[in-house]
Amino acid sequence: MFRAFGNQFTDFVTTLGAIIENGFITLKYIIMGQIERKELMDQCVRFGISSLPITLSIVGMTSIIVTSQVASEMVKQGGGNFVGLLVSILIVREVGAVMSGFAIISMIGSSLASEIATMRVTEQIDAIQVLKVNPIRYLFVPRVLSGIIMMPLLVIIASAFGVITGAVTTTLTTELTYKAYFDSAWIGIYMKDLSVCLLKSVAFGGTIALISCSCGYQASGGAKGVGLATNKAVVWSLVAIVIWDLIFSITFFF
Amino acid sequence: MSIKVRNLTKIFDEIKVLDDISFDVADGETLAVVGFSGSGKSTVLKLICGLIEKDAGEIITSEGDIAMVFQYSALFDSLNVADNISFALRERRDLRNKYSEEDLKEIVSQKLELVGLGGIERKFPSELSGGMQKRVSFARAIVTEPKTILYDEPTAGLDPISSTLIEDYIVRLQQETNASSIVVTHQMSTITRTANRLIMLYNGKIVFEGTPEEMLRADTPYTKQFVTASLEGPMHMVS
Ligand SMILES: Nc1ncnc2c1ncn2[C@@H]1O[C@H](COP(=O)(O)OP(=O)(O)O)[C@@H](O)[C@H]1O
Ligand SMILES: [Mg+2]
Repeated sequence: MFRAFGNQFTDFVTTLGAIIENGFITLKYIIMGQIERKELMDQCVRFGISSLPITLSIVGMTSIIVTSQVASEMVKQGGGNFVGLLVSILIVREVGAVMSGFAIISMIGSSLASEIATMRVTEQIDAIQVLKVNPIRYLFVPRVLSGIIMMPLLVIIASAFGVITGAVTTTLTTELTYKAYFDSAWIGIYMKDLSVCLLKSVAFGGTIALISCSCGYQASGGAKGVGLATNKAVVWSLVAIVIWDLIFSITFFF
Repeated sequence: MSIKVRNLTKIFDEIKVLDDISFDVADGETLAVVGFSGSGKSTVLKLICGLIEKDAGEIITSEGDIAMVFQYSALFDSLNVADNISFALRERRDLRNKYSEEDLKEIVSQKLELVGLGGIERKFPSELSGGMQKRVSFARAIVTEPKTILYDEPTAGLDPISSTLIEDYIVRLQQETNASSIVVTHQMSTITRTANRLIMLYNGKIVFEGTPEEMLRADTPYTKQFVTASLEGPMHMVS
C-alpha cells in the first residue's frame, strides 16, 4: 500500500515537472517567434469554433439556473433594480470564465491529450524527433498559443450570452423589463472585472492546452496509455483551473 | 567506418538490456540485427539515432543525417502522403524556406517513384495498406539523403509477397543512397536478401557475428536454435 502511494507521488512529481518544463520550452519558442502560421490558424479554428456551441450552452444554462433562483426572490424583497447587476457581476467575475474553462476541458483538452498521446504511442513523436524537428515547437506552440488567443474571445462571447440569457430569464420569471435589467446590468460591469476576466481566460486557455499536450506527450504503452493520459489531462486541468481561480480571487478581490 | 559502436551499455530498470556490445557497419554495408523479442534490437536503433541516451560506451556515425524506419511506419496520420514525405524539408529549421513549393513537389514525386508508389500524394496514411505505408515511410526517411538508415522490423506483420517487395526496396535504397544500413528483423528471408552481415543478440550480448551463409552453416547452439526456431537450446524467452 505504501508503495502504491509512493508510486502515485512519483507520478505526481514527474507530471508536474514535465508540465513546467514543457511550458518553459513552449514559452521560449513563442517569445522567439518560432510560430507556424498555418498550423496556428488551424488550431485556433479547432479551439474556438468547435467548442462554441457547448460553451454557450453551459454558460447560458448556468445563467438561467442562477437568475431563476435569485430574480423573483430579489423582486419580492424590493431589490428588483439589482437583478441585472448581480447576474452580470456573477457572470463576468466567475461563471463566464470558469464554466467556459470546464467546457474547453471536455471538448478541447481531452481531444488534445488523446491526439498527442496517440502520436506518442504510435512512435509519431519519435519520428518527428528523428527527422530533427523539435516536437515541442511543432506540437505544443500552435496548440498552447491557440488556447491563449481563443479563450478570451470565447469567454467574452459566452459571458455576453450569459448576461442576455439572464435578461430573458428575468423578464420571463418577474415583472421586470429588459430596460430595467440592462440598466442595472450595465452598472455591474466594471472595467477591473473585465480585465481580470480576460487575464483569467488567458491563463485558463494556456494552462488547459499546456496540461493536455503535456499529459499526452508523457503517455506510454498503447491504447491503455492513451486512455490514462486523457484521463490525467482532464483531472489536472480541472484542478489547475480551480487553483488559478483561487489565485485570481485572492489577488484581485480580497 | 560508417557506424562504429563500442562497449555500448543500456540499462532499463536495473537490467542491462545491452551489456558492453561492440560492432561496426562499413560504408554501404547492410547489417542485420537478429534476436528474440525483448533482446534489445530496437534499443540499439534508438540509441544510434539518439532517441534514448546510452549508459556507457561510444557510438560514432559518419557525417550526415540518420534515418529511421519505424516498425509500424509511424506516418503522421493527420498529414497526407506528400506532406509526410516533405515533413523534414518543411519543418526542420536548417532546411525550411530552402525549397520552393515546386521543388518540394518534385522531390516528393521522385521519392515516391523510388518506392514504386507514384501518384498517391494526396492520399492519407489510413487509406493505404500496411506495405504501402511502410514504403511511404521509407520515402519520408530518405528525403534528406541520409548516410545512415535504420530499419526496425521492416517486414514484420506483412504477407510474404509484400515482404519480398519491401526487401527489394531496402536493397534498392541501399544502392541508390550508398548509406550504411542496419536492419532489425526476425525473418530469415529479410536477413538473406538484404544483409551482408548479421549480429545476434541474446541476454544483452552479441552471441553470433558473421554472414548469413555462415549463420546457416555455423555449428553453434545459438545459431542452430535461431535457424530452426526451436524451443530447445541455450536461449530462453523471458517474457
Ligand atoms: N523505455 C523503456 N523503459 C523500460 N524498459 C524498456 C524501454 N524500452 C525497452 N525496454 C525493455 O528493454 C528490453 C528490450 O526492448 P527492445 O529493444 O524493444 O527489444 P526488441 O526490439 O528486441 O524486441 C525489453 O525487455 C523492454 O521491456
Ligand atoms: Mg523491437
